[in-house]
Amino acid sequence: MHVITVCGMGFGTSLMLLMNIQEIGRKYGFEITGEAVDLGSYKGKPCDFIAASSEIVRQIISDKPVVAIDNLLNKKEVENKISPYLKK
Amino acid sequence: MVNFLVEFLSNPTIVIGLVALLGLVLMKNKLTTVITGTLKTIFGFMILSAGASVIVGALIPFSAMFQSAFGLTGIVPEDNALVAGVQTVLGFETPMIMLFSFVINIILARVTPFKYIFLTGHMMFSFAGTMAIVLDQLGINGWTAIIIGSIVQGVSMVVFPAISQRYTKRILGSDDVAFGFWGSSLIVLSGFIAKKCRKKNSDENDTWEKVKVPEKLGFLKDMSILMGIVMVIVYVVTAIAAGKDVVTGLSGGKNWIAFVILQALTFVAGILILLQGVRMFLGEIIPAFKGISEKLVPGARPALDVPIFYAYGPTATTIGFLCAVVGGLVATFLSPLTGVVVLPGVIGLFFMGGAAGVFGDKLGGKRGAVIAGSFLGFAFTMIPALCYPLIDVTRYGISGLWFASTDAIIVGVIMKLAGMIFGLGA
Repeated sequence: MHVITVCGMGFGTSLMLLMNIQEIGRKYGFEITGEAVDLGSYKGKPCDFIAASSEIVRQIISDKPVVAIDNLLNKKEVENKISPYLKK
Repeated sequence: MVNFLVEFLSNPTIVIGLVALLGLVLMKNKLTTVITGTLKTIFGFMILSAGASVIVGALIPFSAMFQSAFGLTGIVPEDNALVAGVQTVLGFETPMIMLFSFVINIILARVTPFKYIFLTGHMMFSFAGTMAIVLDQLGINGWTAIIIGSIVQGVSMVVFPAISQRYTKRILGSDDVAFGFWGSSLIVLSGFIAKKCRKKNSDENDTWEKVKVPEKLGFLKDMSILMGIVMVIVYVVTAIAAGKDVVTGLSGGKNWIAFVILQALTFVAGILILLQGVRMFLGEIIPAFKGISEKLVPGARPALDVPIFYAYGPTATTIGFLCAVVGGLVATFLSPLTGVVVLPGVIGLFFMGGAAGVFGDKLGGKRGAVIAGSFLGFAFTMIPALCYPLIDVTRYGISGLWFASTDAIIVGVIMKLAGMIFGLGA
């Protein structure tokens, strides 16, 4: 599956979030590909879901599920919130 | 054949591609991952260079207008654009310093109590470029520059996170991660000032998080929008001050106002191209760095980019940013006293101001957040104005850009002054 993570610049926290999501994916036995992007570039990118921190989620409009992470450093929270979306 | 190898391998893009290749092979990646990673790194770096030339191109008429209108040099503080712009000259030193500073960082994290791994990639790149520029100005190039630059950068990569760790821990409520960002010292100082200015009767309710702030300004979080607005204003005001004749001379006969608006938007588009390149090459390199460091220094604190703080005070982030813009504008209007005009560096004000707001709010309440944000914006803009004469980037054919990151400027200025004491450089 393919995940898009979003932050203000698209290479700092979004990249860390993407790596954490990929790690969680491996734990559940799924290979996750993805891309870290900025707020201006997420539109039109094919993906299974989008993840971003809560304070910028309100700016994201998409027909794909958007997962809001309150605390990017809390791996438990990331895991709880993304695990329902994990699939092959 | 030898000619081909020399020219091919000394190309900056290929150097950085080889760095990625080496890392990916050492990490025992699959062949397909190695090929993808290496090529994407190369493309990313080429896109970055293309963005830099668009930015530099859009700044040439701007600098001419500014000079003619005000008789002063106008600069935009933006490290990535500046460093990408000098890659044609320092394209061997920069990626090599970036690579070896990471090696030094790992060694220091293993053998000293400074257990930090700096993982903010674009800042590793901009700092490496800053090192290459400062050393070049001292007459030091090639491998000597790479060795000195890597050591200075490697040390900075653990020292700056260590300086801010006390406050980082307090804001995040956790000691597991650190602050890896070349503005951390200024943000921490803003927080410290906010703490000193805390109201006497202040309690835990004295925080912006208890205040509802309208979400109308949310669209500015896409920083290209804010930057577009600011740059169009800056270009148009400068064009009017320079006068129609000067601008028409620069536009080659095209309508002068249409010309400057398009140049301002071209500048922002250049930044977006540059950032797309940064994104592409970091997307490959940083996961490799993270993997290597986790293997070699288990349990070290990853030092991360500034947005980790925003979740701990979303409202204070907005307040801090708005106050930083105000503080920055005050500094822009005062900077001519130093002989150079520092224009608003939107990216820096946005990201650092937001963090200063969170630090200020946590340490100094509502008043603290306002003071921290305003101080940060003012200092962030004033520091380049004061340090500008020490490092000359115009000799690389770049006008209108200068360094932004406070920590990199501090280190660069110390190196330059030390070099001057030893009689190095012109």
